[in-house]
Amino acid sequence: MDDRHLTGLVRRAQSGDVASFGELLDLYYATIYRIAFKWCGHRANAEDIAQQSCIKLAGSLAQFRFQAAFTSWLYQLVISCAQDWQRSQRRHEHDALPENEPPAEAARPEDYIYLAQLLEQLDELGEGMKETALLVHGEGLSHAEAAGILGVSESTISWRVHAMRKHMTKREPLMSGGT
Amino acid sequence: MRARSFEDLLRHTPPLPPDPHARLRARQAALAEFERVHAQTGEARAPIESGLFAKLLGAFRAGNPARPVTSRHMLLRGIATACVVVVAVSTVWLMPPGQRQFVRPPAPITTISQDRQEGDAKLTSEAAQPLETEGKTEVPNPPATTQPANEHKLRRDSAPRAPRTPTPLPAATGSPPQQAAPEEVVVDAERIHPQNMTSSAPIAAISQDVAPSAAGAPPPPASASTGGELEEVVVTRQSRVRSWIGSLFSHKEKSAPEASAPAPQAPSESGDKFQHFEINPVKRVADEPVSTFSVDVDTASYSFVRRRLNEGVLPQMDAVRVEEMINYFDYAWPTSESADQPFKATVTVSDSPWGEGKKLLHIGIKGYEVQSRERPDVNLVLLLDVSGSMDEPDKLPLAQQSMKLLLDTLKPTDTVAIVVYAGAAGQVLAPTPVADKETIVQALDSLQPGGSTAGAEGIRLAYQLAEKNFRKNGVNRILLATDGDFNVGITNRNQLKGFVEREREKGVYLSVLGFGEDNYRDDMAQTLAQNGNGVAAYIDTLNEARKVLVQESSASLFTIAKDVKLQVEFNPATVAEYRLVGYETRTLNREDFNNDKVDAGDVGSGHAVTAIYEITPVGSNAKLIDDRRYGAADKAAADTSGKAGEYGFLKIRYKLPHGLRSRLMEQPIRVDAGVPAALEKDVKFSTAVAGFGQLLRGSKYTGSLNFGDVMQEARGAVGDDPYGYRAEFLQLVRKAQEARGM
Repeated sequence: MDDRHLTGLVRRAQSGDVASFGELLDLYYATIYRIAFKWCGHRANAEDIAQQSCIKLAGSLAQFRFQAAFTSWLYQLVISCAQDWQRSQRRHEHDALPENEPPAEAARPEDYIYLAQLLEQLDELGEGMKETALLVHGEGLSHAEAAGILGVSESTISWRVHAMRKHMTKREPLMSGGT
Repeated sequence: MRARSFEDLLRHTPPLPPDPHARLRARQAALAEFERVHAQTGEARAPIESGLFAKLLGAFRAGNPARPVTSRHMLLRGIATACVVVVAVSTVWLMPPGQRQFVRPPAPITTISQDRQEGDAKLTSEAAQPLETEGKTEVPNPPATTQPANEHKLRRDSAPRAPRTPTPLPAATGSPPQQAAPEEVVVDAERIHPQNMTSSAPIAAISQDVAPSAAGAPPPPASASTGGELEEVVVTRQSRVRSWIGSLFSHKEKSAPEASAPAPQAPSESGDKFQHFEINPVKRVADEPVSTFSVDVDTASYSFVRRRLNEGVLPQMDAVRVEEMINYFDYAWPTSESADQPFKATVTVSDSPWGEGKKLLHIGIKGYEVQSRERPDVNLVLLLDVSGSMDEPDKLPLAQQSMKLLLDTLKPTDTVAIVVYAGAAGQVLAPTPVADKETIVQALDSLQPGGSTAGAEGIRLAYQLAEKNFRKNGVNRILLATDGDFNVGITNRNQLKGFVEREREKGVYLSVLGFGEDNYRDDMAQTLAQNGNGVAAYIDTLNEARKVLVQESSASLFTIAKDVKLQVEFNPATVAEYRLVGYETRTLNREDFNNDKVDAGDVGSGHAVTAIYEITPVGSNAKLIDDRRYGAADKAAADTSGKAGEYGFLKIRYKLPHGLRSRLMEQPIRVDAGVPAALEKDVKFSTAVAGFGQLLRGSKYTGSLNFGDVMQEARGAVGDDPYGYRAEFLQLVRKAQEARGM
């Protein structure tokens, strides 16, 4: 969508126009949900995170100052919601894999199991790893963009990407096809 | 099908499409929040309060469903009411915990949406017994980092939440909330039906919706509704605190159901946590001839048992790990001569004192003793918990004393650093050579307990220091002293474990010293120490500190062999049944033995490790398991011709401290091995300890053995007892006898 339209929409929403905010939600729910899904690899949880993100967006849209791209800002918001959500879920200590869900057309059902396993591994790998993987690999952002969103230096992102690859190749292959 | 790289997987796995209802719900909730925020612009509220306000507003409106009011009018009234209620809530929170309960309505009301039952059932059951958490004053506050999560939870709860599946709530779910059973289901007072989603005044829609959905059950009175809201705020926060503690320290998921089984001996008021395990059963050689386990050099269990017995009560069963009791004592197993062959194994065969017709196989391992001149350099970081709960004579002061004892065993060139954690983590002492002992002692003495137990960056800081000062070819170790609050900065249990594991790979190891009781988290200490290639010890007295940190300092600091695994293959021609005494938490799968990736216990310099098997020789009538009618008994005999003089075959795998590949040691176990005269007392004494442990554990395999028999057996085997540990054991047996008599 064109930037001027977006800027106008955000400004109107910031000044309290409900209709504009609604439009903004309609435009960005898919993005929000996608980030959330790539964070947790699970549909129902992603819906939860997305809902919280939308609520948070309502409260904090006024703080958006147009200094960064709206999507970058949105990434930040969704990731922080997802982190909060994960903390609040800690009591479940889930070892369980996601329940069987109908797979999307393009992916094999087992991919979602792998994805969930992978996300869990990344989580154990240390702080910031999953976020980095989400942005760099999942969303295809550059290291600099990811650094801006996560508030760390670019070299940190590069290091994390390197460390992740090293760790992942060292492990037994996550998914061995062909058998 | 090709294996996908992880990058590819992340990039090209399309998200499963969201439920359109979820999208609508999110939209609705966000719009409601948006309207609320903009209605209040200029009033400059803190975000958490505004979340709370929304909830209270909702409650207020829900209480007046009959009166249609304009949105503006309602908001003004709502804010006024909300202010009053917020004051009330704050007052509740300022009140001492004991008096807080009176605001609670008779039955806890927790909103629960139908589709969330699985997850929220836990919440409800937690909410059903909130007093327990309330009453406990020692409950640590969640660390500052989780606070936003709590706030956010409140915020989230403030948003209307509709069921995920758009089926209307059946009236049957409106069962009387007075049944405070765990499976209690309460009508969601904030339910929105999808068909009302398009309403431009969503909050008004809620209030009108409550009545029809609860039509089958008596509608909740308006005032109770407000009370319910209050309740939920309170309960939510409690369950947060509770779940925070629970998740940090809870047993592994799989052991949780077992752990909830009543332990007859466990004093219920004790807050100490132990992992539950079942004792090893008797196994039939014909069915399962191979037994595999990892060594265990921990001694925490014995110290804990001693403490309880000294207090005149029997320890809870799960606190008794028989192998740790046996290994508490030093035995004179022959030792190896050089570091290259780090230990030697000794096998003895004797009659079982508690099972007629049965034999005991002792497998004794004694680690090579590192001579002081060849000791590697030590880079030690002490990580001390100085939270308020450590303010007891047997906690921080004992830890301080213990650390001073440890200093005496170090070389002048070794370094010690000190990091503390409580409200804030901090470096108290940069790595300082032991030659400058004065400074170290001063730093230790300056430590004061205080502050909340909110975690900080303690463990990270400690590892950072250890890495900065890393000694290649030396010993790099963190020594964590705590009374059980492992909220050392990383609050996610898996992350903490992963963190310790990664640091282990870098060469920094972790040992855990436990202090005090009631709050002691044995399970967590074990997990961390095992993952960090370290020892978990429980220190209850200065004597114990001396034993662990001085007499065994070289053992706990200098590892001579790591990932030590034992495997015994029994000979079906000579052994009918066997049972491994203890080591329940250390059993390995048969295939793990040759897999160098499977982590196992470590043996330190001079460590003695003893394992005992109870076997039933073929031909003995003490067998517990009958022969199989359709078993092929003679097949086994054919394979073992010429090996009739062997009970079995012992294999040991280990790695040298810096090695990556394991080495193998093996030897047959001879039927006529007997017990060498020099080892007679050690065999007898370790047998007595094993008997004692099994009695405390409530083992069903010890026949008519009683504490008196143990006493008799041990008394004759005290032998040379320079530090009086064995004499102390006799005292403990007597105390156990008295405690049981009561």
